[in-house]
Amino acid sequence: MRSFINPFFAVILAGLLAACSSTPSEEDTSSTDTMPQETQTTPTQPVERPEPAKPETSSIPLTADNFHNHPSNYDGTTDTRVIYFAFDSNTVPAAAFETLRAHAKYLKENPNAKVRLEGHADERGTREYNVALSERRSEAVEKFLRVQGVSASQINTVAYGEEKPAAFGHSEMDWAKNRRVVLNYTAGRP
Amino acid sequence: MMRVNKIRSIAARATAVMALSMLALAARAELLIQITEGRVDAVPIAVVPFGGAANAPENVSDIVRADLHRSGQFKTLEPGDMLSRPTSADQLSYRDFRVLDQEYVVVGSVKATETGAYEVRYGLYDVAREKELLTESYRPPASQLRDVAHAISDRIYEELTGIQGAFSTKILYVTHNRGADRPYQLQYADADGARVHTIVRSREPIMSPSWSPDGSKIAYVSFEGNGLPKIYVHDLGSAERRVVAQYKGINGAPAWAPDGQKLAITLSKDGNPEIYTLDLNSGALERLTNHYGIDTEPRWMPDGDHLMFTSSRSGGPQIYELNVHDKSTRRVSFEGAYNARPDVTPDGRYLVYVHRRNGSFHVGVQDLQRGTFDIVTQTNMDESPSVAPNGSMIIYGTQHRGTGVLQAVSIDGRVKVELPSKEGEVREPAWSPFL
Repeated sequence: MRSFINPFFAVILAGLLAACSSTPSEEDTSSTDTMPQETQTTPTQPVERPEPAKPETSSIPLTADNFHNHPSNYDGTTDTRVIYFAFDSNTVPAAAFETLRAHAKYLKENPNAKVRLEGHADERGTREYNVALSERRSEAVEKFLRVQGVSASQINTVAYGEEKPAAFGHSEMDWAKNRRVVLNYTAGRP
Repeated sequence: MMRVNKIRSIAARATAVMALSMLALAARAELLIQITEGRVDAVPIAVVPFGGAANAPENVSDIVRADLHRSGQFKTLEPGDMLSRPTSADQLSYRDFRVLDQEYVVVGSVKATETGAYEVRYGLYDVAREKELLTESYRPPASQLRDVAHAISDRIYEELTGIQGAFSTKILYVTHNRGADRPYQLQYADADGARVHTIVRSREPIMSPSWSPDGSKIAYVSFEGNGLPKIYVHDLGSAERRVVAQYKGINGAPAWAPDGQKLAITLSKDGNPEIYTLDLNSGALERLTNHYGIDTEPRWMPDGDHLMFTSSRSGGPQIYELNVHDKSTRRVSFEGAYNARPDVTPDGRYLVYVHRRNGSFHVGVQDLQRGTFDIVTQTNMDESPSVAPNGSMIIYGTQHRGTGVLQAVSIDGRVKVELPSKEGEVREPAWSPFL
């Protein structure tokens, strides 16, 4: 199950959804083998509330070109752990802003939490050059979190280049899924 | 270009060698050699099955024939097409090979000795002149029959081409076997793909293997343990290794200097990927580049005074040359918008790198004397070109049916060889120096 949320609604829903049971995105499970993803997180702030209005399903078709900025990839909460990037770009997509703000908020409220920003590139181009490109992606996410007031001591970065793909095919869509930064909590996972 | 010979597989022999070896059998990438294109003007040569060769643990004459064929410089005669099969000079009838348009013939024998070793004798003969060019004999133990075969190939190649043979060299490479407990492996094999040795297995990526100039050590990047990149120097003889770089950020792209005393490496500890030299004796670091663009993938020129490297300082990646003494740089590549990961021929004349054209990645060769540039591969997604120590061939990684494979191409693009893997991906080949 995946929430399809417009950025507009995301602002309102972010707080509510944080209390719901989470469904990690499929990309998360392949991001690391040292940190197995929990299938269920314990609600941190149980709230009594009516069932939220069913969010509008995005009508924008999901393509390789818009994959990185597609609302369906970001639920505006810390449940989303993967930020995608356009080809040859290290610009954080607007659709991911709410999600990253949620991570920033969580990190500020939980000073013991630590996140490792794992940058990845698609397979095109040379390997060490891709390592450098993927470092720029994790640095862009780091900068976003720092601007939100997250302490530098809570953030580490690592650049994997094309060495740890999430999708193993060779299509434009596979490449879109591989151009990413994974937020891997190494302590105090939300 | 003409398709000379479709498939020449040494799979059976490679398998036999592996069965004999005491290495672990699991998750081993096995390299097969297929020549896909040879020279139209390849020299016809008949390597007659050596007397007794089939009874030895390694078939020496088959290995020699495959070596010469794989070089693309020679067109080898199938034993089934031979009119006679002499095993010594006195049995040789030149006419039998002249009528088959052979220019050279190799005859020899392999005999077991009382001590358990083998005696290998062979001769190389010029068919037109009816003249002996070379005779040699070796007394190897069974375990070195394959080495002797490659040494014979080297001698014959050098005698007939004037270029030192590279059949006794090794190829270092990375394999990725998705689904395995430790999917990333660093391995090396003979230049013909046989005798695979696993050096490191890891759950985390291994990258950028590089040989020391004397072939005794290697350097590589491994993300093992904490998932962060570290540069290792690994002694192949003793299997001892040490971490030589684990700074914050990127620790990548080690390249051994010609003097064997230092590495050129990429570090981003100062906020941006820059090229440094690391003195392996003192541990001293010296920063060579200073630019907000990406600087990485250094390769030494044979003089040890210059490096070629990839830089994005002009926008996309291009090749630059760096003077390691005064740190001055100059741009070297100008064709197209993506040129990266240089390697250099041992004579310093040709620069080999990855070039993007129409969205595909090819291996290109730039003549540094004449300034010409040629694309020498027709495959897509080509990467990590590495030049043989005799400058004859380039081995590189590419994709075949969605899987990473190794291929080789001659510097002039006229000979092409495939090295498909049976299991998993094979990539980042590094051709050893002469050993």
